[in-house]
Amino acid sequence: MIRYVLKRLLFMIPTILLTSLIIYWAMDLAGGDVVGNMLPENATQEQRDALTEELGLNDPFVVRYARYMAGLVTGDMGVSYKTGKDVFKTFMERLPMTLALGGTALIVACIISIPLGIYTALNQNTWKDTTGMVFALFGVSMPNFWLGLMLMLIFAVKLNWLPSQGADGPKYLVLPALTVGLGLAALITRTTRSAMLDVIRQDYMTTAKAKGASHRRVIYYHGLKNAMIPIVTAIGMQFSLVMTGSALAEVVFSWPGIGRLVFESIDSRDIPMVTGSIILCCVLMSIINLIVDLIYAFLDPRIKAQYSNKG
Amino acid sequence: MKRILAMLLALVMVFALVACGGNNSTTNNGGSTSGGSTSGGSKGEEGSIPGVQKTLTIGIASDINELDPQQQNDQINNNCFALTHQTLVFLTNDTNEQVPCLAESWEWTDDTHLVFKLVQNACFSDGTPFNADDVVFTYQKAMDPERSAVAATLSLVESVNKIDDYTVEFVTKSYSNELLSVLAGYPLSILSKEAYDDTSNEQPYLIGTGRYVFKEWKEGQSVTFVRNENFWGDDPGQADEIIFKPILESASRVAALQSGDIDVCIDPPINELSILQEDANVTVHNQAGTRLFYLGFNCAKEPFDNQTLRQAIACAINREEIINGVLDGYGQPQTTVVNRGVWSFYDDMEGFDYDVDRAKQLLSEAGYSEGELTVDLYISNGSPYTSIAPMIQEYLRVIGVTVNIQQFDEATLKSECQSGNQQMFLWRWNVIDRLDEIYTELFSTDYPTNYHHYSDSYVDEMAVKVLTEKDKDTRLQLSQDLQTYLVEACPQVPLYVADLVIAYNKNLQGTYLFGGGNHNWSWAYVALD
Repeated sequence: MIRYVLKRLLFMIPTILLTSLIIYWAMDLAGGDVVGNMLPENATQEQRDALTEELGLNDPFVVRYARYMAGLVTGDMGVSYKTGKDVFKTFMERLPMTLALGGTALIVACIISIPLGIYTALNQNTWKDTTGMVFALFGVSMPNFWLGLMLMLIFAVKLNWLPSQGADGPKYLVLPALTVGLGLAALITRTTRSAMLDVIRQDYMTTAKAKGASHRRVIYYHGLKNAMIPIVTAIGMQFSLVMTGSALAEVVFSWPGIGRLVFESIDSRDIPMVTGSIILCCVLMSIINLIVDLIYAFLDPRIKAQYSNKG
Repeated sequence: MKRILAMLLALVMVFALVACGGNNSTTNNGGSTSGGSTSGGSKGEEGSIPGVQKTLTIGIASDINELDPQQQNDQINNNCFALTHQTLVFLTNDTNEQVPCLAESWEWTDDTHLVFKLVQNACFSDGTPFNADDVVFTYQKAMDPERSAVAATLSLVESVNKIDDYTVEFVTKSYSNELLSVLAGYPLSILSKEAYDDTSNEQPYLIGTGRYVFKEWKEGQSVTFVRNENFWGDDPGQADEIIFKPILESASRVAALQSGDIDVCIDPPINELSILQEDANVTVHNQAGTRLFYLGFNCAKEPFDNQTLRQAIACAINREEIINGVLDGYGQPQTTVVNRGVWSFYDDMEGFDYDVDRAKQLLSEAGYSEGELTVDLYISNGSPYTSIAPMIQEYLRVIGVTVNIQQFDEATLKSECQSGNQQMFLWRWNVIDRLDEIYTELFSTDYPTNYHHYSDSYVDEMAVKVLTEKDKDTRLQLSQDLQTYLVEACPQVPLYVADLVIAYNKNLQGTYLFGGGNHNWSWAYVALD
């Protein structure tokens, strides 16, 4: 098992290399005037030339990329063109906010979606099932920013129950977490329903019932446990996306997480910050995926055995 | 089944309608300004001054990016420095006059010497007294390009010398009508020499003589200032704290104002103004702006090196329609190149008003037949340019000119324009009172921000004359003549000056707003009923 984990961690190296190359190349293709962003409007051509030289922007792409990667290997991800602050430090300052938002959103999503998925599966083709699926469709179809603004207008402006903006305490987390969580819940509900539908038709479920197990035990012990693999996969994938893709919710609610950091950095062509943030997001996603894979092993002894054999 | 679906759809629609609906009785009732649920921002607690809300929170459209005045010249940072620092002279927001601040008087003793008498009772926020050493230190640092990003603004100044503890002398290359206005700029706020001498002070630039003191910057969240208890003047700040909160999304900013999470909403979106105007707890304020939006031509490159063609384009554009379409009427059209509100503004020349027949005739005189000309229009990818550009495209299609719109991020657009790659471009220029920011920076030969690449020795000479002429009447005439000349030469088509529109808590007092956005919130506070 440990060897499997180490192997997976080693596989992250080519992933990071490829990601860094693609993102560095993409930022290069996107163009944008880095120097113009940093200098005052009436800067002279001489000032522009000097700063261009200082930042090494006159060098060919390969040289710049190699220099960046050399820095990365030594743990230096550079400094932001916009604020002059260390990229890694800035990212790590913002990460806890995104983890808090993503984690809470995921809890919200699980609380809503897993019971709802089971309920709709058990009531397949009834109005209860349809209602649940319409909710799921609603959640999937609704853009994050629209839902966020609607929740803000209802709970902050009309009812004045919750703050509309900021990140000064737990109550500030409610609306952004609901916004992200409802979108996640929709997808997990559909996956749970589908997985449960597969499971409840299995022979071992009939056997469990025949042996006199209670309905609750049959569903939650025999059924849900066996349906958990696709559900955990869906949760893991969604969590990865939330960690790296909740930019819209973060912008709408002024939540100072990494999504908003990347959004602002792209806007100001802050190449070191964008490149560094995306590489770190890539590492984060790889770690989350690894954790999800490890959870499989705890859920399914067959997978655990496979890991051990591979290891 | 259909019934259930219909019910669910109805629920969704009700949900959306409730959320989108305008101000209703719930908000009005809840907004009676006394309780914790008041919409509009009165939910804050009372501060140390009776009847004044403890905190004033201002929702801004972008985060600040620098705490050192001399390392930047961004409006949002300058709004902060207006709280914490002061300059030698202060620019008023109504008459654009320079009035005493840290200097109590000044005099040009000859064409190259400007002498300031300093106030003798001022002190910095750390309690140390202010004197001539601080002024000399500040300007020596500002003039050093290695230590300052605004050295270019002081290119006219040769040296700053101390005469005595409360007298300083600026030695300049020549007389300038605009130097005082330059010195009123917040990047040239007076810094504390003693703070810089203290090697243990890592952020000496935070020490100023203003009404507030920097407390904390949580990047991406807020920047907080507290009242300067050592303030030397007799009109200190009222609110205990002033907080700037960056809320990038404009609709979120509006919601934050209505929910009372902020007291001031900078740049509310025009399409939401009607909602705010219906809110009894919100004041929507508008005043004449100073930011001129224009269509510029690259005069050094075909086809717009042709003056008649430039005039033809000017006649094809319906400015009133643009103002209504883009700003919902919150703007003023103008003919001249000088921003409305700036001294010597003159708009009575004939110019090139909207006239399609005249435009076609001028196009023909310029040597182009209908359908022959295709040009590029370079724009920035933000608002309002993406709204204006298609309108211009359509106006020019009517006279037979095809326009290809090319979008860039703002910095790239500036770079493209500086390099001269553009044919036409949309841009804006914010000027409060300095004529050199127009005549020199936009139209003088080879100036970096002369994106028109306009070169005319007459304009260059006149720009210098306007800058240095001491007789006010003569200067006025020179400036108006130059405006008439430039309108005829037509390096740009001035489109409009956008009004300043800002929304705030109805109980907000003590605002000091500038049409271009360089507000000073030092005196602002929310009064509690």
